[in-house]
Amino acid sequence: MERGYWIRSKPVYTSLLWHEKATSHLIVAQGQGGMAVLKLLQLMHPKQPITVLYTPQSDADYSKTLLKVVPEGLHILDTEEKILQKLDSTLHTLYMGMRLYIAGSEDFMWTVAKVANKFGIEDAGMMKELTGTLARPIYCVHCKAITHDVTTNIGKCSGCGRMLFVRDHFSRHLGAYMGLMVDAESPGDLPEIEEIYP
Amino acid sequence: MPLAFKKETFRDNYDYSNSQDAIKRFPFPFAEDQYMYSVNIEPHVKGKPGSVCEFAFDVDEHYVGECLDKQITLDLDRGRYAVLPHMMDAQWDFVELTMEALANDYPEHFSLKKDGLNWTWENKPLNIKHSFVFGDASTMPMDPFEYMSRQVQGDFVLLDQRDDTLYADGGFVTSQADWSLAFDVGMSWREWHAPVPRATELGVMDRALKYLMNIQLGSPVRRLNWTMTVNPRLDTSPENYPLWGTDRNTVNPENIEDKIHLRVELQSLFRLPRSNGIVFSIRCYLISLKELATYPRWAKRLHRVQKTMHPDLVEYKGMTKFHPMMVEWLSQFDDGETLSVGTQPE
Repeated sequence: MERGYWIRSKPVYTSLLWHEKATSHLIVAQGQGGMAVLKLLQLMHPKQPITVLYTPQSDADYSKTLLKVVPEGLHILDTEEKILQKLDSTLHTLYMGMRLYIAGSEDFMWTVAKVANKFGIEDAGMMKELTGTLARPIYCVHCKAITHDVTTNIGKCSGCGRMLFVRDHFSRHLGAYMGLMVDAESPGDLPEIEEIYP
Repeated sequence: MPLAFKKETFRDNYDYSNSQDAIKRFPFPFAEDQYMYSVNIEPHVKGKPGSVCEFAFDVDEHYVGECLDKQITLDLDRGRYAVLPHMMDAQWDFVELTMEALANDYPEHFSLKKDGLNWTWENKPLNIKHSFVFGDASTMPMDPFEYMSRQVQGDFVLLDQRDDTLYADGGFVTSQADWSLAFDVGMSWREWHAPVPRATELGVMDRALKYLMNIQLGSPVRRLNWTMTVNPRLDTSPENYPLWGTDRNTVNPENIEDKIHLRVELQSLFRLPRSNGIVFSIRCYLISLKELATYPRWAKRLHRVQKTMHPDLVEYKGMTKFHPMMVEWLSQFDDGETLSVGTQPE
């Protein structure tokens, strides 16, 4: 495709910024996303109640600094699974007017979003900052499996083993990019595999 | 005119053809010698008797074959049907719209008897008869939307209108030109159409959205869309791309007239009364180059349209491999005669 071509379903992520009129703030972050939380807290400590759920990663752990900076409601948990459980139980206690902030990999952000969706929080009501990696979750359009953390232009499907071309077309419902068998027309004929989502 | 439903297949041996009548009424989409996307939406008003727009939903000689093919595709992949839970009102809207239209327009084939909310539907070509309570899903053998989608030719998408846009929150999609319902379900209008090249820059999708959000109950609209496809295959889904992708390598100058088909979608949109949603009907018509060339005017027109096609569209519509060969084949009909504007065959 020529220069200027842009698939508009690809989400645009920005830097986290406070919604000043929120009644409470819920921040969920992973690994390098801890830095996004610190940036947010440098701007302001809001008047309203804050909850921060953070899971460190081996290559990015901001726990120590967060413990010093976050005034209240900080929960540091060691796995993504625990974060999601805590998120679920926390959302049960919060009310309309709460604003949700998410920072981490794309996979992490949309997994969090899926939990929030269950509580009627729509995409537009969440703020997302992409941190740490450009790795993509890929939905195999053929076998429907989702392969996580794909860093290359072509990735092997974890479900059916087909080599998938990673498109820019993104489904918020699935939280993944579309993967389409790359050599369907000429079996075995694969283009060069390159890391383009490090 | 009584319809003789043909026995045909849209896969494997591809036992499919158009009768002389079907060729003549084919919805040829090119009124001019050049093509580019436009917001070519017009009111879906009653067309001439015998035309594909005579009725709200066109039933033709391929009806039984297509309904059978839908069933095969859905049996192989349940993901071709999806509907989000908040769309139940829209499901019943769809049942009412389709049953009333078919019973009214084709009384020799379909009938609908109403006694208050107790309805009896009869579909003679598919040998179906069922009594149910309108609005009570427990009286239907499956989702109401799935039930009637199986009995009307074409694909159907239920659109929910909120947040100043339209969301594709349900669909029955078995004859798509390479888009995936399972992937797209729940998407907003802009996300859903995101991969269409040039359309975003031209502002086509934004203008179309604005138009569609204002369509009124009882005033449906329509447009034609098209692509070229190898073999009369309805299920050219991305899901089954590994099955049909290699077909593009089988085209040669000897078989091109039988292999390559012009695939036209008659897309129509109806506002729904209870849900305030919209049903998007995408009806597919297939015609081989050989059948199309029965009318030299169409062959000349198609030659000029294809010869001047924007390279992005050639790629997007999956025509790259056979496009030069197709233009070459069509050129034999084109004597350079000036053609007046219009899609008529003669």
